Amino acid sequence: MAIQPNPVTDPGIDAVDKNVQIKGQRLWVDALTRIIKSKTSLIGLCIILLLIITAIFAPIIATHSTTDQSIVNRYQPPSSEHILGTDELGRDIFSRIVYGTRISIQIGVISVGISLVIGVLLGGLAGYFGRWVDQIIMRIIDIMMAFPSILLAIALVAVLGKSLTNAMIAVGLVGIPQFARIVRATVLSVKETEYIEAARSIGAKHRRILFQHVLPNSLAPIIVQATLGIGTAILDAAGLSFLGLGAQPPTPEWGAMLSDGRAALQTAPWVVAFPGLAIFLVVLGFNLFGDGLRDALDPRLKR
Amino acid sequence: MIKKQRLLFLFILSIALFFILAACNKDTQSESEGSGNAEGENKASEGEASGDKILVFGRGADSIQLDPSKVTDGESIYVTNQIYDTLVRYEEESTEVKPALATEWKVSEDGKVWTFQLRDDVKFHDGNDFTAEDVVFNFERWTTSAEFVYYGYMFGASEDNMKGIIEKVEATGDYEVTFTLSEPNAPFLYTLAMPPFGIASSKAVEEHGEDYFKNPVGTGPFTFEEWLPDDKITLKKNPDYFGEPANVDQVVFRVIPDNGARFMELQAGSIDLMMGLNPQDIATAEGDDNLQIIRRPSMNVSYMAMNTDKEGPLADKLVRQAVNLAIDKEQLISLYEGIGKAAKNPIPPSLWGFNDDVEDYGYDVEEAKALLAEAGYADGFEITLYTFANPRPYMPQPKVTAQAIQEMLKEVNIKVKIVENDWDSHLDATENGKHDMAFLGWTGDNGDPDNFMYVLLDKDNAKMGSAGNIAFYKSDEVHDLLKEAQVEMDQEKRTALYMKAQEIIHDDAPWFPIAHTTPPLAAKKSIVNYVPHPTGSEPFNLLDIQE
Repeated sequence: MAIQPNPVTDPGIDAVDKNVQIKGQRLWVDALTRIIKSKTSLIGLCIILLLIITAIFAPIIATHSTTDQSIVNRYQPPSSEHILGTDELGRDIFSRIVYGTRISIQIGVISVGISLVIGVLLGGLAGYFGRWVDQIIMRIIDIMMAFPSILLAIALVAVLGKSLTNAMIAVGLVGIPQFARIVRATVLSVKETEYIEAARSIGAKHRRILFQHVLPNSLAPIIVQATLGIGTAILDAAGLSFLGLGAQPPTPEWGAMLSDGRAALQTAPWVVAFPGLAIFLVVLGFNLFGDGLRDALDPRLKR
Repeated sequence: MIKKQRLLFLFILSIALFFILAACNKDTQSESEGSGNAEGENKASEGEASGDKILVFGRGADSIQLDPSKVTDGESIYVTNQIYDTLVRYEEESTEVKPALATEWKVSEDGKVWTFQLRDDVKFHDGNDFTAEDVVFNFERWTTSAEFVYYGYMFGASEDNMKGIIEKVEATGDYEVTFTLSEPNAPFLYTLAMPPFGIASSKAVEEHGEDYFKNPVGTGPFTFEEWLPDDKITLKKNPDYFGEPANVDQVVFRVIPDNGARFMELQAGSIDLMMGLNPQDIATAEGDDNLQIIRRPSMNVSYMAMNTDKEGPLADKLVRQAVNLAIDKEQLISLYEGIGKAAKNPIPPSLWGFNDDVEDYGYDVEEAKALLAEAGYADGFEITLYTFANPRPYMPQPKVTAQAIQEMLKEVNIKVKIVENDWDSHLDATENGKHDMAFLGWTGDNGDPDNFMYVLLDKDNAKMGSAGNIAFYKSDEVHDLLKEAQVEMDQEKRTALYMKAQEIIHDDAPWFPIAHTTPPLAAKKSIVNYVPHPTGSEPFNLLDIQE
């Protein structure tokens, strides 16, 4: 048998972990109850669920192909054949919006995923190590925040090239500062707590402390930011597509649909109204839910 | 620009929501109309306060340069047409010529020597006298660099022969100038009336050097005042103008990129006259008591050029013919919402020399597939289609048109990737041959078929970097015909030559010709005496605003 320098370490930490987990579960159950009780966040949740269901069952829900055009039938007002009317090329707007949900979810998840992973990592390192690590990381974040986010995204797309993937990357990178700052602030307070001190005193490594203890206990604000961030990401990506920098034709992306339909703004308003409404609803849904989540996860509000 | 478009996005998003709210509450709408009127009144009262008549002209893109000799785009020419005069000028509604800076002219028997008598009472905006020396200076300047694109297009100048067909230009008197040509040139007099050959003040050109393009000095009815890039260009009335002095005191060219937004500004009264009306909005304007629609006579063509010079499927004539067969032109034209007629030749039917015997390819997917199979592309291929963001008079909906073609070509297994650029990046990309296929159009400058055929389809103008021929179509047969037509003075013989050239071009199919349009302009009812010229722009001196 090799020499074990500190045989009691591991079981001790496991025990702490279990306590945290139980506490954690209580927190989530409480949160869920509170979300259901709050009307606005319940509406948000419903919109999000509707969006996800639409995306999954798009082929069943859609009544037409998203690309089949029939130029003679362009600008048809809503009818039983075309529930939301037809666009400038006679394509079915309803079906395009339905398939557009897939793209929006994709944009939301991937962009926020990028912001989240990089932002949490940078913020965690900055908050945990402090000193020069903090200085360097946070000054970079400050520089990123000095740019208006959409301009930075446009510049990034200009460098990377116009495509939906690049738009998602750009929107993701632009979202990093939000996550980094929130995570850093939370980590700063969590790392002063007694259980972290305890973990440190029994010789746990930095990596273990950061990833097993500090970050899991900073999860609540990250989840709130991620939810709100999805709404912003969808809006920003729609903005890029509107400018022709995001989704390329004939992808049924909502922002691109707005852009292509605007020539008939006065004569066939439904061509822009419905994609606009879709963007509005989804962003509203994520914002309501995000706000509700923030309230629900705030321990100070616990009665 | 991009910032503006971002605002536009939010604006349209909110309009979209507004329509939904408006459906629930009619009052909201009338309220917003009320605020629109208020804005109009504000502008009117500003104008009255200064006692000036100000014409605000709305358009889709900014000028590139205000030195007309260096540009080919309509947006630049629109402004320089107000600032400069040419030796001769077009009649108000046709491309017949009348005196301008030159009062009379004569041509030698062999058609090679042209002598012009000039006006002796003209001053440039900078106060210097206009003399024969200025004309010589300008023509000599245009031979110093390939930057002066129109000189090259029209007089056949190239790198080895910068002068082209104009052997020399001499001041044979204080107010007499003589051109000696190396060969007769049928459209010569008509070409001199083109806005790019506006005479600039030699002193100002020397003084400003590289910066001359933003400090233009001519003799025209308006003087240059201010240029805020991507926003507006302001011109002031030239009270000493030798022709009919302007009725308005100021002209402001405002850039409003989106057609719909520009039309809303017109409805709200913050602009007086606009080009680039969405055809969908014509009916709305006609139904408005305060607005009128003015139609510019048709002398243009829009087309999709296929880069014949690039290695790949489009180098094959069969593939280009197949593309012509695979696109349903009638359907495509309906996207012009009534302002366009299908095109089958590079020149519009209103021009002499138009070959009506050419039969268009028609829409036949099966035959297109057969041709592609014959060329070895039965499985199709991928290809780019370059298009531009700002609508043009000859193409009101470039992006939508591109998407329609994308979907139609899918039927024959051609996968199209649409590349959309701003107007100036589009010109830059296509002049450099970056595209496989590209949209573009042309508005005739001098009412001569030469101005379409030679500029757009001759091998002389397929030069990388300054190409007018963006199909990079290099047919020696066509070149010989076009060259012959240039030196032939008899119009009947020229007609025959152009007819023949159109047949060859039809068969080689470097283009998919799309449409000839009658571009609509919209104006307030108070705008009178405005006569749009078929060449795409006109001086505003005769136009007036009625109180």
